[in-house]
Amino acid sequence: MRRVDGWRDRLTVMAFLAPALILIGVFLVWPALWALYQSFTNRALTGLTAMNPSFVGLDNYTRLLADADFYASLLRTVTFVFFSAIVGQTLFAFLIAYLMANRPGWRLRAVPVFAVIFVLPLAVPETVAALTWASMVNGTESGLINRMIGVLGAGPIQWLQDYAMETVTIVNIWRGLSFAMVLFIAALEGVPRDVLEASMVDGASAWQQLRRVTIPLLRPQILTFLMLTTITTFGIFGLVYFLTRGGPGNATEIIGIYIYNQAFQFFEIGYGSAAGVLLLAILLGLGTYYVRLMRDQV
Amino acid sequence: MSVDVTAEEKVAAGGRLQGTKGSSGGHSTGKIGAYLLLSALALFALIPFSWLLLAAFDSDASISVEVPKAWTLGNFTNLFANEDGVRLMANSLIYAGGATIILVVVTTLAGYALSRYDFRGRRVLMLGILLTRVIPPTATIAPLYVIATDLGFLNTYHGVILILAAIEAPLALWIMKGFFDTVPIEIEEAAWVDGANRLQAAFRVVLPLAGPGVGAGALIAFIGAWNEFLIPLVLISDQDKIPISIGLFRAWVSYTQVDWGFLAALAIIYVIPAVVFYALARRALQASLAGGLAGT
Repeated sequence: MRRVDGWRDRLTVMAFLAPALILIGVFLVWPALWALYQSFTNRALTGLTAMNPSFVGLDNYTRLLADADFYASLLRTVTFVFFSAIVGQTLFAFLIAYLMANRPGWRLRAVPVFAVIFVLPLAVPETVAALTWASMVNGTESGLINRMIGVLGAGPIQWLQDYAMETVTIVNIWRGLSFAMVLFIAALEGVPRDVLEASMVDGASAWQQLRRVTIPLLRPQILTFLMLTTITTFGIFGLVYFLTRGGPGNATEIIGIYIYNQAFQFFEIGYGSAAGVLLLAILLGLGTYYVRLMRDQV
Repeated sequence: MSVDVTAEEKVAAGGRLQGTKGSSGGHSTGKIGAYLLLSALALFALIPFSWLLLAAFDSDASISVEVPKAWTLGNFTNLFANEDGVRLMANSLIYAGGATIILVVVTTLAGYALSRYDFRGRRVLMLGILLTRVIPPTATIAPLYVIATDLGFLNTYHGVILILAAIEAPLALWIMKGFFDTVPIEIEEAAWVDGANRLQAAFRVVLPLAGPGVGAGALIAFIGAWNEFLIPLVLISDQDKIPISIGLFRAWVSYTQVDWGFLAALAIIYVIPAVVFYALARRALQASLAGGLAGT
């Protein structure tokens, strides 16, 4: 690396950086700031207030914080994130990976076909993932899951009607679980053998070894994955919207769908922006922690 | 370098260690258990795709999983003979291809500068760019719509292309920068000594060496743009300009009138580039998810 020295260097650096920074600035940073600004207005999607929005101060926020639907949506999102991202994709995936990694005489890389299969749920576009699951959980007797439980004598279940939130949570676990497991297996197999053997010589039980040696060693990887999957899951829209459009009623209206509905179904851009700002605040909070984890790499 | 590579090296070392121990009965039970668990998981990962694979080759498909009574390639020939089908595929290619080209150009330039020049605020800038990665379009979709309207971006290819490129930019930039870091500065300095100026050295010497990284960044950007749903849902209402993701959604919403075989065939065509590119860029993707972003 070389220190920037003189106007020629400075000009070169600026010219190289400008296009990317303009792109990120205009379409990522500016909308975030604009969201903050609009959240103080009564801007609507159409009609008079679309042209001439006026300032309404904190009205949108006081309304939001008094809106039972918003709370319900936020709580739903947190539950969705907890069960699909934290429990399903991180805890459960790590547990499976732990059971599987370092099996004597065996490693995942030896069976590449598995590695390919495990990547599929995440590699397909979210719309296709939703479409295939729509077929799986189809409420008629011929739906695949209903046929499976039919063998056990259970009646057909209207999954997307009666268990909508549970179903979309499982779909999201399915999407991330196997890929996370592959990542964790790679990480676990990267733990130096001699360290593990030394702890065994010292008489550590498997549980002590996991808690005192393995997890502390893998902490950065586990935390980074946990942060990323949590952040991504908070921002999910398409997977759930495709399956349920937030319904039935608003049973699966997670925060992303709530924002979309406010802005584009009820045409309240200002109010939708306010909800977006709150989501953004959560994500930037988590994001700051994620950036701190990555800080050593710059 | 990436976590993945180190992991594999360690795995290789571990394998040698285990080899010297030989295998006893306890080991093989463990092995069988691991295979059973893996197979169960593989089934869980694969079963949802059964409808897609069967319905696409079924002349009389429904929403349910059925073994076709008459197998056919007709759904695929329909797709390519049908004006709507071809238009959907072309639109997706335009959006994703356009976003990728723009992205490769701007992030290669910026990645090179961030890797090679030391200037005040470089670290803060890198971390700031990383922070913008966590902003999902979900949170800013309302203002994004207003901004797009003001810029005349509604129902335009270039508008959606620019926005998609921006969304993928932070991650791509980090990946590019990481790959430039792996090209030793000495190689570049040798070119300067030979009389090349900085720009010539950057384009003729460094860029070819960082090629795989640029490729990985391009693949990841293409996948992201190819899969995008919310941005075109909000910005594109013109039936002639919708990409495959929205086409699938509109067909699915019309439920009773939909030709399921056609829909499944379209979904398969839609999946292929995503999965192939994903497989090609897997290593860079894993590294970016597992903590150690490639580089340093």
